[in-house]
Amino acid sequence: MVYAPLALPWLLAAGLAALDGRRRSVGWVAAGTLTVHLAALAWLGLDVFLDGPRETVTGGWPAGIGIVLRADALGVAFAFVSSLVLLLALVYELQSGGSSRTFPALVLFLAAGLTGLFLTGDVFSFFVFFELSMMASYVLSAHGGEARQLGAAFIFAVVNLLGSFVFLISVAAIYHVTGTLEMAAVAERMTLVEPASAIAIAVSVFVAFGVKLGLFPFHFWLPPIYAGARPAVAAILSGAVANIGAYGLLRFGAGLLPLELELTAGALAVLGAASIVYGSAQALSRRATAEVLAYSSIGQAGYILVALAVGGRVGYAAAVVYAVANSLNKVLLFLAAGARGPLVGGAFALGALSVVGLPPSGGFVAKVELFLAGLEAGSAVLVALIVVGSLLSFVYMFQIYQHDYWRARPAEPASRTSVRLLVFAVALLVLAAGVWPEPLLLLGERCADVLLAEGGG
Amino acid sequence: MTVLTAGVVAVIFGSGAYLLLKPDLFRVVVGIVLVSNAATLALMASGLSRGDPPIAPGAGAEVSDPLVQAMTLTAIVIGFGVAVLLLALVYRIYTSHSTVDLDELSQAEARHEAELEREQVEV
Repeated sequence: MVYAPLALPWLLAAGLAALDGRRRSVGWVAAGTLTVHLAALAWLGLDVFLDGPRETVTGGWPAGIGIVLRADALGVAFAFVSSLVLLLALVYELQSGGSSRTFPALVLFLAAGLTGLFLTGDVFSFFVFFELSMMASYVLSAHGGEARQLGAAFIFAVVNLLGSFVFLISVAAIYHVTGTLEMAAVAERMTLVEPASAIAIAVSVFVAFGVKLGLFPFHFWLPPIYAGARPAVAAILSGAVANIGAYGLLRFGAGLLPLELELTAGALAVLGAASIVYGSAQALSRRATAEVLAYSSIGQAGYILVALAVGGRVGYAAAVVYAVANSLNKVLLFLAAGARGPLVGGAFALGALSVVGLPPSGGFVAKVELFLAGLEAGSAVLVALIVVGSLLSFVYMFQIYQHDYWRARPAEPASRTSVRLLVFAVALLVLAAGVWPEPLLLLGERCADVLLAEGGG
Repeated sequence: MTVLTAGVVAVIFGSGAYLLLKPDLFRVVVGIVLVSNAATLALMASGLSRGDPPIAPGAGAEVSDPLVQAMTLTAIVIGFGVAVLLLALVYRIYTSHSTVDLDELSQAEARHEAELEREQVEV
């Protein structure tokens, strides 16, 4: 049952890689595969939701020897959201006719890598899946761009590879001090490791995921790549690939290294705050839509880190809810910014409201959760930071809304109806998350419980 | 032995990091390859143990840790794939810009941005 969502896109990706992705049939086979994959994940999610985590040791090896696949609420939730983002971006690209020879296969490889990464219970295979999905995204980031995009793609690849190898070194360190690669066992034995080594491991893990997420001191690769990429690719990078960073910080920080997380919470909160302020200030000063959205992502990553720093049930739940809402926002905004014509402006406005955190959008729910986390921490500075950050994002989001949609511009042909309907459907999804927030909130709580159980309190 | 390997890893990682800071893209690729090898070596060193090869252990003999070897093999393959991918990217950059120097690339970029700015003003 855990295998199905993982194996399906992987096998199909390998097959489709040999075919020409510009043919419509190949693209639609990929979209169909992703749909079935999503259904399998939903089924798995329902099962996990009702009966608790599912664990399988691959290859029928006895436990403790084989590689463990483990589906729990946190992993399945992130896998589902990321795959949904991939499906939306793929259909968008197929409809707007921008697919290239390798595009459908790459998206499927990315789906396989991300699913494996979110569902594995083994530290080293986490790295392998992580590299599988990153390699697909390096190639994707150069997709369809102009010559200029290549330079940005190269820097993106180099910086993220450095992050990956720092992570690999911390995997080696984890194995050295705990003698195991299984996450559950690592979490248990990590409490016995001497603090100096544990802190060194925690810091390098943090650096690795900070790079992925585009947090403040590690963000410099992010704006050129988001600004130059095609809308669908930007949506994939910010809505699906950036989830690796958020998930990694939650799983490794809160799940495997809870003591170190608590110890460094102050530093994390400061970095998160710096990310929010820096991202918002830079976004304010930009006028190109994609660039504003790129800097906005840096700010949004800061909120996730702040929620993580607050910790506890409320903090973790806020981090999960915020990460999910942020994924949906970014997909909506990047796709809407790439389309033209009726319905698109409204969809963009809803996405903007969601980033700001105003009702009736999914972002509002996430901001409320974050607010509660701030109150729980009893920190006036944190609450003030959230309010100021939201105000800044209100200014920069509606500045570009005004610039893009209220100004008379040379007439541009409207996008195809199917593209606009797709963007509108994503907007409805964000709206639904705001109007009926219970599932999202419940999800956040379930994920927080998973992390607290893993981290031993 | 652990101290020695740690030292070697540090030197290789340091050289790689130094090359990463060079403007020549080929040096950057070599830098990443060195960093990946430093990581591989660290992986190997994380489970250093003496013993028979795990695939054919002698009767009652100690077996060396097979897990690190499996991990190292995987990491080598990944590092290799990454190096090929980066070289392909450098080649694409070379064919479209006729340069592999980061400084020249960013100058071209600055010119491009200035053009964009002019277009926006005209609109």
